[in-house]
Amino acid sequence: MSILNDIPILSFILFSPLLGIVVLLALPHNRSNWMKKTVVVATLIPLVLSFWLYSEYDKQQDGSVFDEQQSWADIPLNKETQAAVPSEFKFTLQYELGVDGLSLPLLLLTTIVAAMASLAVIQVKKRWKAFFIWFLLLEIGILGVFLARDLFLFFILFEITLIAMYFLIGIWGYFNRERAANQFLIYNGIGSAIMLIAFVILVNTAGFRMDQIGDQVSFLYSGSYSNIFHNLADSGAWVNLAPEQMGTVNPFLMTHTMQWTLFILLLVAFGIKLPIFPFHTWMLKVHTEAPTAIVMVHSGLLLKMGAYGLLRFGLLLFPEQARAFAIPLAALGVINLLYGALLALRQQEFKLVLAYSSISHMGIVLLGLAAMNEIGLQGAVFQLVSHGLVSALLFLVVGSIYERTGTTDLRELGGLARSMPFVSGVLLTAGLASLGLPGLSGFIGEFLSLLGLFESQRWLSVAAAVGIILTAVYMLRAVLKITFGLQREDYTALKDARLIEAIPMIVLLAFIVLLGCFPSVLTDTTQLGIDGLLDQLLATRAGG
Amino acid sequence: MDKLTQTAWLIPLFPLAAFLILTALGRSYRRVGVLIGIVGSFAAFLFSLFIVVDRLGANQVDYNYSIEWLAIGDYSLRIGFEITNLTTLMLAVVTLVSLLVQLYSAGYMKDDERITVFYGYVSLFTFSMLGLVLSDNLLSFYIFWELVGVCSFLLIGFWFTLPKARAAAKKAFIVTRVGDVGLLLAILLLFWYMPEHALDFTTIQSVFDGQSGAITNGITTLIALLLFVGAIGKSGQFPLHVWLPDAMEGPTPISALIHAATMVAAGVFLIARTFDIFQDSAAAMETIAYVGGFTAIFAATIALAQNDIKRILAYSTVSQLGYMMMALGLGSLTGGIFHLFTHAFFKALLFLGAGSIIHAVHTQNINEMGGLRSKMSVTTWTFAIGALALIGIPPFSGFWSKDLILSAAWETNPLLFGAGLAAAFLTALYMSRLFFLVFMGKPSAASMDAQESRAVMTLPLIVLAVLAAVSGFVETPWNGWLGTWLTDGSEEAHASGAVIAYSVAVGLLGIYIGWLAYGKRSISFAAWHERLPWLVRLLERGYYNDELYSAVIIKPLKLLGNVLLAFDTYVIGGIVRIAGAAVSTAGRAAARLQNGQAQTYSLAAAIGLVVLVAAIVGRRFLP
Repeated sequence: MSILNDIPILSFILFSPLLGIVVLLALPHNRSNWMKKTVVVATLIPLVLSFWLYSEYDKQQDGSVFDEQQSWADIPLNKETQAAVPSEFKFTLQYELGVDGLSLPLLLLTTIVAAMASLAVIQVKKRWKAFFIWFLLLEIGILGVFLARDLFLFFILFEITLIAMYFLIGIWGYFNRERAANQFLIYNGIGSAIMLIAFVILVNTAGFRMDQIGDQVSFLYSGSYSNIFHNLADSGAWVNLAPEQMGTVNPFLMTHTMQWTLFILLLVAFGIKLPIFPFHTWMLKVHTEAPTAIVMVHSGLLLKMGAYGLLRFGLLLFPEQARAFAIPLAALGVINLLYGALLALRQQEFKLVLAYSSISHMGIVLLGLAAMNEIGLQGAVFQLVSHGLVSALLFLVVGSIYERTGTTDLRELGGLARSMPFVSGVLLTAGLASLGLPGLSGFIGEFLSLLGLFESQRWLSVAAAVGIILTAVYMLRAVLKITFGLQREDYTALKDARLIEAIPMIVLLAFIVLLGCFPSVLTDTTQLGIDGLLDQLLATRAGG
Repeated sequence: MDKLTQTAWLIPLFPLAAFLILTALGRSYRRVGVLIGIVGSFAAFLFSLFIVVDRLGANQVDYNYSIEWLAIGDYSLRIGFEITNLTTLMLAVVTLVSLLVQLYSAGYMKDDERITVFYGYVSLFTFSMLGLVLSDNLLSFYIFWELVGVCSFLLIGFWFTLPKARAAAKKAFIVTRVGDVGLLLAILLLFWYMPEHALDFTTIQSVFDGQSGAITNGITTLIALLLFVGAIGKSGQFPLHVWLPDAMEGPTPISALIHAATMVAAGVFLIARTFDIFQDSAAAMETIAYVGGFTAIFAATIALAQNDIKRILAYSTVSQLGYMMMALGLGSLTGGIFHLFTHAFFKALLFLGAGSIIHAVHTQNINEMGGLRSKMSVTTWTFAIGALALIGIPPFSGFWSKDLILSAAWETNPLLFGAGLAAAFLTALYMSRLFFLVFMGKPSAASMDAQESRAVMTLPLIVLAVLAAVSGFVETPWNGWLGTWLTDGSEEAHASGAVIAYSVAVGLLGIYIGWLAYGKRSISFAAWHERLPWLVRLLERGYYNDELYSAVIIKPLKLLGNVLLAFDTYVIGGIVRIAGAAVSTAGRAAARLQNGQAQTYSLAAAIGLVVLVAAIVGRRFLP
């Protein structure tokens, strides 16, 4: 047995960036170099730990050995139980963490992208200390979203990312930063409110559990994910509880309508984050206004929280609804794919091309999910990880170009391959990865999603395949406009990437190539998480 | 099974290693870089040669080996390699032409500051092309298919500062991608219809060859047509041929290697590799035959009116690829592959010869050339051999392969026989026009100072000229060796005196008319220019294909994009703005209660908690 089993490794990963925050607080304001080193080191710790976890996980076959559970606070409820035996009714807030095949790849992605983004913070010009603290808080929030196994813990950590993002955009963004930050907060706040409503309903129904210790029976409501999952998976579970203890109270009344309501609420809440058309406008401003390191995290990681939430809470908890909703979901995916691609084609601002490209690529994730089979689900998860790496890399390059030319407008850029061959080469490769060139990671996610979807919804799959042509059109248009062609005279003196910029580019590229050539390093891990999900989906299929 | 065949997967790794080393070295070591590229392809060539010798001997057993690449639940995606006589033939062609082109480039690209980048790209291309050839299943075939596409894209856009090169590179990538989607969909169909979800060529062969009925006729035709869509894109068949002439913006050695000898033939190779699927579908076979036959004539007429030497050769390539497709559509696998084989040599020769000319006269316009015969004798003689092989004059190689195709048509399809003959006549006409304008007559201003290229460039020309002259003897009417070797003797070699007579007659007629018009100048096509200017314009512009696509596809797409952009900005954005305004009005009202910022956010959290507690407590009032 590994040493990992004996330590709360998940908590270590989650809170290791706090170390950095403590050190940052202690450092004097003028020591910017020290601060930069601190923030890099603070992101390297969870990176190393999560790699360690990943390597151990494969041998375990099951991530549950790493689960952590602590009771946090009990709130007694004075509810009449009508029970013959002594009993109490309470609401429990829990601290519960866990990993499985779905969250582990995203956890790893988070630590990688966060570490690479921390190297890109050199472009920040003011108030380093506060920036770095918010940045590390943001990382804690994202890590927590992928680790949390309690609905309220999930919600709190989800909110931390919102608040951190709000300040990071509002203070350190570009010209329209405040508007962008406000729009971000309002839009995502609405999404969070919807999510909270869904969570509250869930906790009050499927969150019910009966604990019996000796004679003492306690009935409790909690946000424990595994409990909710099992209650929903076996909707007759409550009947098995001894009726004499329960009386006539049905602890969770989950009608068909209610299930559908919850599913749609969750779909909207996480659909805003993903984003699903037509909830996408908020992210356009974030892409253009946020500083480089933050867009890397936003595009690379925050959007993934939406897809993860949809998978974790939408598909896994409500497989029956998900199956019934597969065709609309696939249609939404195709709309995202084509709509994003067509709009990306008409943008003059490179950041907006990439923003719409994200919408388009998230469409592929929806397609993979809508396939409702293991190939499609694998494709969706792969696409999430791949898009995280590729978009982080693209925005890294954008940051380097903006730093030198002061613009990311396609009309003003051109011929950069002459003075900046390395950066241009990286940009071209990232663009090729984005448009799904085999050998790079983007292809695998795209191919598997389409292959999976083709089994169940052939025509939508064909429509999506046509969208792949458009991806090539808008991506090449933008990338070639920047790197090829005649160079403006004032760009001839531009310097190529510095070492500190080149390192994260090379690391991200290495992962993109690795996943493209050896996809099984990721899919083998995901498979363990997919199996459970697939059982759920197949059970509903068999049951009609 | 001998060790040699089992280790054939090493062949692509030599050029891959060359690419990696070249990329790591950067641009500094120019001489070493060139040497690395050449050594990489030489090693691959040598290894392939051993395999060829081995296959020519006693060893005729196909060998394939694959490993699991990606396992998802019960599904398994594999990659692997396969050695058959067909792949062996392609190995030899690809490695040989790649080696010769790299030798040639040492001279042609000598003064380019990015020569090491060039060699890196060419090595990457060679690796990908060899991977494609060796692939034992359609998925890895598709992967390498895309990779050769991207190498082609990079090399067309090699001189990236030229806006035309940029446009051509982008066009090549996108137009071929249209075809790639066809191939991709064919793979998706096969995956879900094949027993055990197998994608390897051996299983495909056994499933479709056995007429097992595992797959219905409709689906078979659909798969075949989708595969053909992929081939149309890659092999420049009508209507996706538009990228190939523009691809001539790339360096000329690239035109020889990628856009004449190897990559553009990949579509033909694809159909040959999955020929059993096509043989099950008469409709698909007819489609291929007619598209090929039409493309052969169509492109040849355009070639007549071009003035850029490379564009003439490019349209000629499109036309010749049409021949190969036609042969496959007529059921003659040997005919298609044989023509691929001979075409690789004589067209690579013609392109490299054109490169030698362009290098000397610094123009690509054939009207500005002339009289080069006296200045560049090696180029002239080798080019003449290439031209005669292309036109199909015995005993040069193109004659034999074209004869085989025409014979196949002669027996089954008179219409396509006529098309093939007409295309052969047009070929003779445009090639003699090209030859007489460039080499004969008095030296023009541009040709005055022309000098023969250096030995490193002429040596590949001589080697290719020898091959263009003699490579046809592997398959003649009285010796069907190639057909027997490729298809285990299941195809009969055709021999018909009439076909030979027809084909030689139209070839000679074409040359004669060409000579009269552009050599002796006793007849003139000037009258055509005066009386039918629209016809000449029509041919020059390639039947306005680009303009048509621009009007029918690109402009509507842009319009749709603009409409959606307006929708996104005003409709969706408008709704969001209204909602946002409502929220901020409410927010301003609430803000009167609180004026510290931090409190505002904790208020949100507090409200959330209140809602939560209220909901839980409230439940007890429920029944």
